Amino acid sequence: MFKNDERYWDINLLNKWFAISSIVFLATMVWTFIDDNDDEFKDYQREFRKLQISITEEKLNVEIEDVEGKTDKYDELLSKAQIEYDNQSSLINSINDELGILRAGFYKVNLKFAEEKAKLDVFKFKLENANTKSVEKASDIKKVYEEKTSDFNIIKLEKEDFEIKISKKEKRLKGLKTSMKNIQDEKDVILKKVNLSKNKLEIIDRSKMSFMNKLGDIVRDLPILDFMSPYYKVHQTVVKDIHYDVNFAAMPAVDRCTSCHLGIANPDFVDAEQPFTTHPDLDLYLTSKSPHPEESFGCTSCHSGRSRGTSFISSAHTPNNPEQMKDWKEKYHWKPVKHWLQPMLPTRYTQASCFKCHQNTSDLAGAEKINLGLTLIDRSGCNGCHVSGNWKSSGKSGPDLRKLNEKSHPDWVSKWIKNPRSFRYNTRMPHIFEQANQEKPNIAKRNITEIASITHYLFENKTVKRPNNPSKYLGDPSNGETLFSAVGCMGCHVKEQEPSQAPSPTTFKELTKLQGPNLIGMGSKVSPEWLFNWLKKPHEYMESTRMPDLRLSDSDARDITAYLYDNKNYDFDQLDPPVADDEVLDELTLDWLMKMNPEKYAREKASKMSKNDKLSFIGEKSIRHYGCYGCHNIDGFMDAKPIGVEITQEGSKPVDKFDFGLYHDIPHTIHDWIENKLRTPRIYDRGKESEPLDLLRMPNFHFTEQEIEAVTMAVLSFNTDKVGEPLLAHNNVPEENKEGHRLVKKYNCQGCHLIENRGGQLVESIGAPEYGPPNLNSQGRKTNPNWLIKFFNNPMTVRPNLQVRMPSFHQINDKEWDTIIKYFQSIDNENTGYRAPHQFVKGSTKYNAGDKIHELGACNNCHFYGETFPIQTASTWAPNLALTKERLNPEWVIDWMRAPGEIMPGTKMPAPYLPTPDVLETDDAIDIWGRDLVKLKGNQDAMLEGLRDYMWDIQGKTDISDEIKAYFDENGYDFTSGEDDEDDEDEWDDEDW
Amino acid sequence: MNLDSIKSAIDWLSAPTISFTILTVIFPFLFPPSDWFEKVHRKFGLWRTWTKPGGMIGMVLITAFFVIGYFDPYFNKTLTKADNFPIVLMIYSMWFLIWLGMYKAYRNDARIEQGLKPEEYNDPDDKVLVWPDLVYIEFIALILFQVFLIVWSILVAAPIEEPANPAATPNPSKAPWYFLGLQEMLVYYDPWIAGVLLPTFIIVGMMAIPYMDINKKGDGYYSFKERRVGMFIFMYGWVVLWLFLIVIGTFFRGPNWNFFGPFEYWDLHKVEALTNVNLSEILWVKFLNQGLPTNIFVRESVGFLVTGLYLFVLPVILAKTVLKDMYKAYGPTRFVSIMTLGLVMLALPIKMYLRWVFNLKYIVSIPEWFFNI
Repeated sequence: MFKNDERYWDINLLNKWFAISSIVFLATMVWTFIDDNDDEFKDYQREFRKLQISITEEKLNVEIEDVEGKTDKYDELLSKAQIEYDNQSSLINSINDELGILRAGFYKVNLKFAEEKAKLDVFKFKLENANTKSVEKASDIKKVYEEKTSDFNIIKLEKEDFEIKISKKEKRLKGLKTSMKNIQDEKDVILKKVNLSKNKLEIIDRSKMSFMNKLGDIVRDLPILDFMSPYYKVHQTVVKDIHYDVNFAAMPAVDRCTSCHLGIANPDFVDAEQPFTTHPDLDLYLTSKSPHPEESFGCTSCHSGRSRGTSFISSAHTPNNPEQMKDWKEKYHWKPVKHWLQPMLPTRYTQASCFKCHQNTSDLAGAEKINLGLTLIDRSGCNGCHVSGNWKSSGKSGPDLRKLNEKSHPDWVSKWIKNPRSFRYNTRMPHIFEQANQEKPNIAKRNITEIASITHYLFENKTVKRPNNPSKYLGDPSNGETLFSAVGCMGCHVKEQEPSQAPSPTTFKELTKLQGPNLIGMGSKVSPEWLFNWLKKPHEYMESTRMPDLRLSDSDARDITAYLYDNKNYDFDQLDPPVADDEVLDELTLDWLMKMNPEKYAREKASKMSKNDKLSFIGEKSIRHYGCYGCHNIDGFMDAKPIGVEITQEGSKPVDKFDFGLYHDIPHTIHDWIENKLRTPRIYDRGKESEPLDLLRMPNFHFTEQEIEAVTMAVLSFNTDKVGEPLLAHNNVPEENKEGHRLVKKYNCQGCHLIENRGGQLVESIGAPEYGPPNLNSQGRKTNPNWLIKFFNNPMTVRPNLQVRMPSFHQINDKEWDTIIKYFQSIDNENTGYRAPHQFVKGSTKYNAGDKIHELGACNNCHFYGETFPIQTASTWAPNLALTKERLNPEWVIDWMRAPGEIMPGTKMPAPYLPTPDVLETDDAIDIWGRDLVKLKGNQDAMLEGLRDYMWDIQGKTDISDEIKAYFDENGYDFTSGEDDEDDEDEWDDEDW
Repeated sequence: MNLDSIKSAIDWLSAPTISFTILTVIFPFLFPPSDWFEKVHRKFGLWRTWTKPGGMIGMVLITAFFVIGYFDPYFNKTLTKADNFPIVLMIYSMWFLIWLGMYKAYRNDARIEQGLKPEEYNDPDDKVLVWPDLVYIEFIALILFQVFLIVWSILVAAPIEEPANPAATPNPSKAPWYFLGLQEMLVYYDPWIAGVLLPTFIIVGMMAIPYMDINKKGDGYYSFKERRVGMFIFMYGWVVLWLFLIVIGTFFRGPNWNFFGPFEYWDLHKVEALTNVNLSEILWVKFLNQGLPTNIFVRESVGFLVTGLYLFVLPVILAKTVLKDMYKAYGPTRFVSIMTLGLVMLALPIKMYLRWVFNLKYIVSIPEWFFNI
């Protein structure tokens, strides 16, 4: 039957195998633990701990040195106090004994108190219960309840008696220790820093710990036990307003970057190596006082990357350049994290994230690169072909071509289209032709014919104007040159022959000089008649132009015309204009016809077309094909759709949606794709056998490397990342702020004015801020919107001694002006739209005091009072005070008078002298200052209010433009030389208040 | 012959049309189902495959392929993907187990020929008691397998990809490795066949094997000769129609589900001419030079006819002619079941060849009802 020891296999052998496999299994379990606990971030934390210890020790040494000798005095006092205290030991002992007895008594009575209280509460409940049921029963219970209450009160009193006694004794004891404690406290104040550092060291430095603490410090980080309170742990910030989109849900970002970047918010680690080094801008980021505290913004909201990663690779770092990549590969075995859709932005593109919350502006302080990128996108007309929902273009970036026949000759136009830079080396017009993918001879030939056809189309059915009596429009070129730099042309234009001297479009300020074209070679381009008319009334030639009307007199306009017309581009004049080749034209015609027709019909149609028909047909097709209408208004293309890809979310487009072409030499990242596209727009056609009409068409803007980086940055910032409402910048939300900002950019207001602390290059070229266009800081709070819109529509002279003038922008309508005003107001957090006239009481104390200050301040030295001219010379003239009540907001005037230099650095306006209380208390105060001023007792706010109220009462003509013009017509602007400037300053310094 | 030319030769050979054909042609010579094949099998020394040197050479060839592949920049990417690790294991283990089975079967066949009993009858070492021997051995195996899984999980991170996005599917989109054979079938059949019908038939068919098998020999010991037809059919289904398709799906299918040789770059731009036509189009348009009939049934009549003939008439003809003896031995029920399962299995290679040779898309094509065969 069943034999228990029946075996076919050697049980000992199996036992051995079992033993071996068990041991191996155990080993793998151990390995599991090691693998689980051996995190990269812990290595960094250990290293950081060492660093922290050494830095704290250094700090401690410095602090100890600082306090050396300062505590000796206290030690002495302390020992004295100790002796005194010890002398009273018998008294202290007896108090302590008494306290012991009292406390025991209290303990007992307190127990009884609690017991009775509980019992009483039971009765209270019974009574309340009875109240609702039977009145009779209730009255019985009530009696007992009242009895119990009075008993309870006795116990309560007893208890309170003990409490009083105990507290008396304790106070007495404390009193005996007071002097010692006070000395110790004073000593501690001095040692505060030292003690803090010492405490810190005791926590982090194991060698300074007690044995038990040392043991605890080891145990807290052991596997499994480390769930409680480990020293080495993941540091994380859950950023609830930043989400990572996983398509079906949005997960809040959990930033663990600080697990390794341990010193990031600590200024002590400025010199430490990565990853411990301090953030370069703690004023702006991370700290709780900064506008971007770590707990609300985290790290990945700006830097992107895999927020939960706790190792160098898994957090998806992206190297900034090939050298860094090589370095990282050696140091960290870096490789890109596949499948992570938002790798970290290379540090040169971090600013792209600013746009998530600051979408309304390209004037963001500290974000120069993205500001430049957004500005370049506007300037270059990117939106003409690539719609961007987040950064819409306002108007077309190139000139209107519908009246081209009045302005230019077809030969000039075709040469220009072929190679714009051969005429103007720094034009914004991009190169559509002669690009990398057009080098094959057949393509080049087609291009020449296309250019000729485009030109033909632009001039079709229009008569080219012949030059007509040029001398009639040409004045004195040298005066033209003076005017060119004086009246404000240089707010938007330069006339610079030498490329090395030209403004480099890599900073915003320089870029404002290139708002309009560099005005070289005008003699080769236009006729004097056209130029004169253009200067006089630009909007009559082109309704949509951004060129304003400077209200030039005929003679001024003639002088400037002469100055510009003098300059010719002879090299360009000598070039042969592209001419259409009949054969190529036929080929092009057939190609285009075959796009819409079967070949047979196409041939039939083509055979019926005359050469002119073909030229205009190909012209029309080519303009559509190359998207010329993206930047220019052209007849027949007013509603044409943009030809490029929409870039509203380009920064979030999956990388595999970008066509990197057939070569594999460009790293597959979005920024590399964009950079290369901007550098060589046709690069992704390399090696392709495309039909001529299927070639890439993006024109070459000849961007510099800096510009490429800036534009790439801006495109990266157009993405789908969403941040929570609380994180948006305060002025981000209203669409009209953004619109106003765009208008300010469009018309290049910052060429002349400083707005949001940016721009105003014209002021610099004029030299003295007081003779340049005013800065517009605090403009939103400053001017009455009602006056401002009137001023915009019909500028009057506000600053009487400025030769540069606010031009008339006839092309901006009231709605747009309103938007601009609202934009100014939003910068200053001002939101008053309509204003009633400022109310004040004439003859009140305040008003009279203001009158006195005004009198003492001698405002009429510089300011106009209606038609009354100032006492001093034109060099110090200041705005008409009769205009103030219309022009300025009363609150702003107070701020202004308090500190004019703060609002408008460089202003000649001094703050009016306001007497201080002690000055007003002297015996002869009333004689000097007047009764009303003395009554104000030095209340400076009231004085300023009084001064303002007085000013509001100044009567007179508000618009004195004609009077001023008459004066300068007669006397000229010669005062604006340097010498006068110095005199002016002296004058103010000498002023005796 | 340098390495590059070997590589491009392997690339060329790996194309499904070629590799599948080679495998299909060679298969009966490796697992000879009849005397004639057996004769060739012996004559050309193919039987040596199932000897110890044969097994070793197989292992060496597989290893050589992977070693060359590891140092190839393109195959390295596919080979070292965490997802594909199981396929590498599968190739080794499948080769080993098939070889082992055949090796033992051949030894037994030789013994039986000499009138001896199979080895299993004479080898006391091969006997185990369920308790304690078998359970103990299984337990040890369990522990070691656990060790293997733990080490694997420590060394190779889980192959997780980006969050699923219905608007942006990965290219190529691949099923889990064990389903890649099914996915390969989808190239040739509609989802309802490749994804529902065929898997059901596979499962039902395997469950049915014990009931279909009336061969009393070869029971309890390894033997090839005593059940060579059954073995041949099963091995063809298992190795060629399942394992091989998994290997193709894993290593040789790249972007746009295009075929790529193992040493080829997975170029997104690769274009293949795929202009497939339906049987109805071949009939009406190509042969009869007229448009497709509007009536669906008339249009697809030939497709239905062919399918009907294949599934319902062919078994009857076979029963009357070639397989007369089999019909007698198995009886009508068994015969019909085996025929149905067998013909459905055979339908896969048939359709593959129809596609490759005639660019045939569907035999019956009624997209109006989502019904295509």
